[in-house]
Amino acid sequence: MNAPLPIYLDYAATTPIDPRVAEAMIECLREPELQGNPSSMGHEYGRRARARVEQARAQVAAAVNGRPECIVWTSGATESNNLALLGVARFHADRGKHIVSSKTEHKAVLDALKQLESEGFFVTYLKPGADGIVAPEQVSEALRDDTQLVSLMHVNNEIGIIQDVGAIGRICRERGILFHVDAAQSMGKVGIDVQAMCVDLLSLTAHKSYGPKGVGALYVRRNPPVGLRPLIFGGGQELGLRSGTLPTHQIVGMGLACEIAEREREADVARICALRERLWTGISKLGRVELNGHRTQRVCGVLNVSFHGVEGESLKFALTDLAVSSGSACASASDAPSYVLRALGRSDQLAQSSLRFSLGRFTTEAEIDAAIAAVTREVERLRAIAPATSPAK
Amino acid sequence: MTERREYSALVERHFAAPRNVGRFEPAFDVLVARSGRVDQGIEIVLSARIEAERIAALRHLVYGCPHSIAAASWLTERLVGATLDELAQWRWREAATALDVPPEKWGRLLAIEDAVRGLERAWRERASSRARTA
Repeated sequence: MNAPLPIYLDYAATTPIDPRVAEAMIECLREPELQGNPSSMGHEYGRRARARVEQARAQVAAAVNGRPECIVWTSGATESNNLALLGVARFHADRGKHIVSSKTEHKAVLDALKQLESEGFFVTYLKPGADGIVAPEQVSEALRDDTQLVSLMHVNNEIGIIQDVGAIGRICRERGILFHVDAAQSMGKVGIDVQAMCVDLLSLTAHKSYGPKGVGALYVRRNPPVGLRPLIFGGGQELGLRSGTLPTHQIVGMGLACEIAEREREADVARICALRERLWTGISKLGRVELNGHRTQRVCGVLNVSFHGVEGESLKFALTDLAVSSGSACASASDAPSYVLRALGRSDQLAQSSLRFSLGRFTTEAEIDAAIAAVTREVERLRAIAPATSPAK
Repeated sequence: MTERREYSALVERHFAAPRNVGRFEPAFDVLVARSGRVDQGIEIVLSARIEAERIAALRHLVYGCPHSIAAASWLTERLVGATLDELAQWRWREAATALDVPPEKWGRLLAIEDAVRGLERAWRERASSRARTA
């Protein structure tokens, strides 16, 4: 018999698929009329599939206040980030080779930037404040005559803080510098408006907002056009920016997930915020715990907490009742302390003794209460067996 | 958790219910030794009560990973009844083998061995002190 599943508090790693999204995807997979290649416009099967793809494109565009023709389908935020950074930097290399980003970006951005550095580009990595926020003035001060691109994330995946991308976008627009935003964690949690935020490129993914894994999108401003060089060559789909047969069911899933996320955002945020506060109130009663990231400038569902006096690996091993993360799911296979928390000034020991609880649409009050009980029990147990000079006592 | 290290059944048992947690109150027949630091990933305090030139009982307090917690707990059962010579012969590799501790954690076991060496030194000093008194 299978062991009971732990309580799922890892929505920032990935969300379960909303049943409404799953139904729409299953329809695409089941109905013969939707089985055509969306690029086969010469027959009805292709045209019907294409209609669904375009409907989804419009749904995603509406969710970010962009135009449908600005949406390019990709395999997810990692590909979107790579296409934005490598594509823009290589296309505009003659305009300058300087890029501005931050130390707390997702690996999909940092590793793409590392690749560009190996190609002769120079990257300034801004250090956020202890609250995780990059001040717009820091960006202003980092800009140079040869800066061609600024890339910052909207919502940090580990600590959940929200960067003021609108203020930074306006600075970039005034200076004529392209602005890319990794918004993988934003959809359904905080409003995205590419016009108001002066965003030129925006990375999105479906699986962080109750859509399927394996599909994402890159918003690319078309007027005036942002030049970028493709990474994948082949059939010339997506106006030549991303070749490859379009996966109708995945795209339909992403479109509906974005529509639902935006339509239900206000209600979701209010409910999840209340659960997060309940969790923080319960955990903070332990004492000697610290919230990582800005207290208020944060999304509703993420709570990153450092526990003094508890060794990180033991804490994680003890909490078998909970599915939580010690950082980015993409980087937490190693025992190394989170580079995001280190950049915020946390010690190696404290960074390693930190947990990310991330809540979502299907989290219940009973689950939060059970999580508080499990964390309290195990932290107190581990602190009780620690020597008096350790930070536990 | 997102990632999960594999632990032996013995590590899991000792981690879930560590044996002999705590420390003895200071007394002439009690030896105390400490090693490690929190920023090294392990800190351990061992205290032993000596009766008839053997370890009658051990207590421990430990901050560390599951392997460290399990090894410290296991040790407090393993060394009961040991003489000074037997204590002097104890090495970390015995814990590594018994608990199936992976190589990247062997450094933590060295810290535990340092605590055992500390007990050994305290025991010898106690013996010298008694000899001088006599």
